[in-house]
Amino acid sequence: MALFAELRRRNVLKVALLYVVASWLILWFVQGPGAALDLPSWTRSFLTLLLAIGFPVALLFAWTYEITPAGLRKASSVDQTQSIVYKTGQKLNAAVSVLLVLGVLALIGEGLLPKFEFLVPGVPQGEAPVAAQTPPEIRSLVLDNGLKIIVWPDHDIPNVVLYNFVRAGSRNEYPGITGISHFFEHMMFLGTEKLEPGEFDRIMEAAGGSNNAYTSYDVTVYQDWFPRSALDVIFGLEADRLQNLRTYADAVEAERQVVFSERRSRVDDNNFFKLYEQVRATAFVAHPYQFPIIGWPSDIEAWTEEDLAGWYQTYYAPNNRIMIFTGDVTPAEIFELAEEHFAPIPAQDPPPAVRTVEPEQQGVRRVSVQAAAQTPMLHMAFHAGSATDPETAPLNLLLNILVSGESSRLHRALVEEEELVLSVDGFQDEGFDPGLAYFYLTLPPGGDPAGVEQRMLELLQDVVENGVTEAELRKARNIVLADFWRGLATINGKASALGQYEVFLGNYESLFALPDELEAISVGDIQEAAAKVFRSQNMTVGVLLEAEE
Amino acid sequence: MNGLRYITVALTYLLCATALAQGVTLPEVERVVLDNGVVVVLHEKRDVPLVGLRASIRGGAVSDPDGLGGMANLLAGALEKGAGERDAGEFAEAIDAVGGSLSAGADLESITISADFMARDADLMIELLVDMLRSPRLEDDEIRKLRERSINELRAAKDSNLRALTPIYGNGFLFAGHPYGNSLLGDEASLEKITAADVRDYYSNYFGGDRLVIAVAGDFDAAAMLENLSAAFADWPAASAVLAAVEVPVESTGRSVLLIDKPGAAQSYFWIGNVGVGIDYASRAELDIANTLFGGRYTSMLMDELRTKAGLTYGASSSLRREAAGGSVAMISYTKTDTTIAAIDLALSLLEKLRGEGVADEMIDSGKNYLLGQFAPKLETAVQLAGQFAMLESYGLDASYINDYGAAIAAADGEAIRTVISEVYPTTDNLVFAIIGDAELIREQLAKYGPITEMSISEPHFRP
Repeated sequence: MALFAELRRRNVLKVALLYVVASWLILWFVQGPGAALDLPSWTRSFLTLLLAIGFPVALLFAWTYEITPAGLRKASSVDQTQSIVYKTGQKLNAAVSVLLVLGVLALIGEGLLPKFEFLVPGVPQGEAPVAAQTPPEIRSLVLDNGLKIIVWPDHDIPNVVLYNFVRAGSRNEYPGITGISHFFEHMMFLGTEKLEPGEFDRIMEAAGGSNNAYTSYDVTVYQDWFPRSALDVIFGLEADRLQNLRTYADAVEAERQVVFSERRSRVDDNNFFKLYEQVRATAFVAHPYQFPIIGWPSDIEAWTEEDLAGWYQTYYAPNNRIMIFTGDVTPAEIFELAEEHFAPIPAQDPPPAVRTVEPEQQGVRRVSVQAAAQTPMLHMAFHAGSATDPETAPLNLLLNILVSGESSRLHRALVEEEELVLSVDGFQDEGFDPGLAYFYLTLPPGGDPAGVEQRMLELLQDVVENGVTEAELRKARNIVLADFWRGLATINGKASALGQYEVFLGNYESLFALPDELEAISVGDIQEAAAKVFRSQNMTVGVLLEAEE
Repeated sequence: MNGLRYITVALTYLLCATALAQGVTLPEVERVVLDNGVVVVLHEKRDVPLVGLRASIRGGAVSDPDGLGGMANLLAGALEKGAGERDAGEFAEAIDAVGGSLSAGADLESITISADFMARDADLMIELLVDMLRSPRLEDDEIRKLRERSINELRAAKDSNLRALTPIYGNGFLFAGHPYGNSLLGDEASLEKITAADVRDYYSNYFGGDRLVIAVAGDFDAAAMLENLSAAFADWPAASAVLAAVEVPVESTGRSVLLIDKPGAAQSYFWIGNVGVGIDYASRAELDIANTLFGGRYTSMLMDELRTKAGLTYGASSSLRREAAGGSVAMISYTKTDTTIAAIDLALSLLEKLRGEGVADEMIDSGKNYLLGQFAPKLETAVQLAGQFAMLESYGLDASYINDYGAAIAAADGEAIRTVISEVYPTTDNLVFAIIGDAELIREQLAKYGPITEMSISEPHFRP
């Protein structure tokens, strides 16, 4: 006991405590916020070793020496009546308190007490990424019911983004129910067994969150943007609408009118979509990519509650969805909440496969639309690949070379030099099944669509025959790479990109392979892709002109 | 015991930290004013290898010369068409080659240049920016092409983008004779009159160091950047033309209706508003809460009634336009032609309700949480931060505009919000209507809202 009392008197215990707390803070910093300093990966192990070696040294030092008004002296040589160890002890107490407060504040700043993750038994930690270039903090987990969850923690701002990818799009529709995947996107906001229509949004917005959703040819995607403080609310709301959705007849009818209004302003009063709808319907004769996402008006009018209920059960099952969380969260807390809220939702039989394969096009197809139009439009569509087909990545670079930026080939030729069109742009579908490479041009009043079509074909034929230059390829790579980084600058962009790659390429980690993959594509690959796609018998041409009186 | 005191102090800090977490605090910046008045604001942020930049020249569409509407915007476009050693093609090539973006546009009160590029390309992109501002080529042929394309793009918008047009017609009609009614893009007739020489004159009169703010955020070295920008701009003389002071706009009294005929339109698109308040309005937090609840989010009064309950539309909102000397406040929506009157009547009844009853007390907390919860992501990236810094400088505001906002939202109470509502939102007796639609089908019914001025959408201007 005498030794213990002397240890206390000489403040050795307090120094020990201070040392432990300070070490913990240092190690926490290196692992957390210090990661931004780009320290080498061995920093943490090295510091741990250093701090461990330093611990006995510090204790020995505290035992041996004592702070006196005259400076540092050997404890054994200090007159006990003159000793100020009590004051030193108070200072040490203060230092420990301050460090503890700092630690707690830092953890609060991070939004959590990470130690707790490991204290909760049974909480899965998820799979770490495999590839070296993938950020190591990302975790993924597949629940027993087949729901896959991917978490990318990022503590820059106290906000969280959730993307819920449902593998249901107009690709899964057939005549009679076209537009149902888009309509169902609206239904998901219209009430459950527990919540009246409108409550979902009211609760979310009152908690500081906002949301949206979109439907494409392949998927329906639900997005929530919310402060960290709303995490529990969001899980509650999402779990509720993913298992207790109810179709209130009144709400369904009102929403039908909303969708008609959406269709009127998007399609009926918009010349681009008027033509786009017709060109797609012409380019595909068999595959459901021919249906407009918003649906044909007669189908919007006609789908029934049974259609809607069947859609929900089949396509919104956990095994047909993927959820991405990015922002101010830890994987462990998300996985724990997911086990609680989503694990009870039962898996379902997988949806029926989309069996139809679009047959090879045998010759050019044409469609025209007459509308109130001061400015005519020309659309040109070519059958191309799916997200995973080998020609898709080179074709994507080629489209950048052709239409991205004012220095792009088609813009320079058609807009700047020949002044034939007001604008030229393009994209390709990168979906589950082979889609279209699509160009759309707006002509000045009185412009000549046939002449512009001819010039477009010459310019595309030039790529087929002569390829592109190394400089053009370098430029396209830089554009794609810069967009890649811009996407990753926000937690929203991170969630969107992870989801796209996971859903369409089968593995979110392929996102981070993009820079290397870009380097691997050659001018030869691009020319080959161009030759495969840009053939006139593979083309559908649409023209929109002023209605004749 | 002393330990207790520390714990108390610790708890106090903790509570403060929690309260602060409600708002957003702008990061520290380095702000330097060069001798000629150029303001440089720099902030290093190295999470991704990107740099965001915003340069702003005070002026903008309010200083478009009489009859030459769209001048500021045309000049902004022309700045991209070749500068320094590079012609238009080479200039575009230089930007695209590194995957950067560098573009200029006009607002009412400034011309802005926004850039977003990889950190490794900073020297090149700054060189391009400097050339754009100090030695744009402004060649005849490029300006002619740009002007013709602008005219045709307006025609294309009239074919396909009616939602975007109602605010242009609405503000033009409301601010008749006041520069806040100027269309940023000008109109087909005014653009037709602008010559390349006019554009060059405007540039040499209205551009100069005294009007320039440059804000840069992202992955760069602040000292080197400052040196670079100082070397480029320190000797830029002041602009020669005086920026005319903008008078405070006066509220429009009574009702008036502008009907823009678009034969065959499937829907009617409406804008209903009056004069509002400026950017430095003292009760901004209360106003933002009121507008969020009235028409600024999905569960707002307008959206809830017009879309969710009545199924009349896909979207309905209330918009606040806030400039230096004032602004406008308006309700915006669209609906199929035969429900035009039902939708407008409903919107008017909601405005009446807002002014009469204010917003429900239980909704105020919801509105506050929404504004605060959606605030941080608006200042997440280097580009967003650069834009915010430049905006504050251009309007003579300081960081407290952002830093104190969270606390002001938290402190707003029902009484103050009601006061703001009656101060800012017009009564239903004093409204300006702008409605695009099939006039033949709606003209007669619209007469009940007030005297109608009618024009065709194909007329080459936005004001009757």
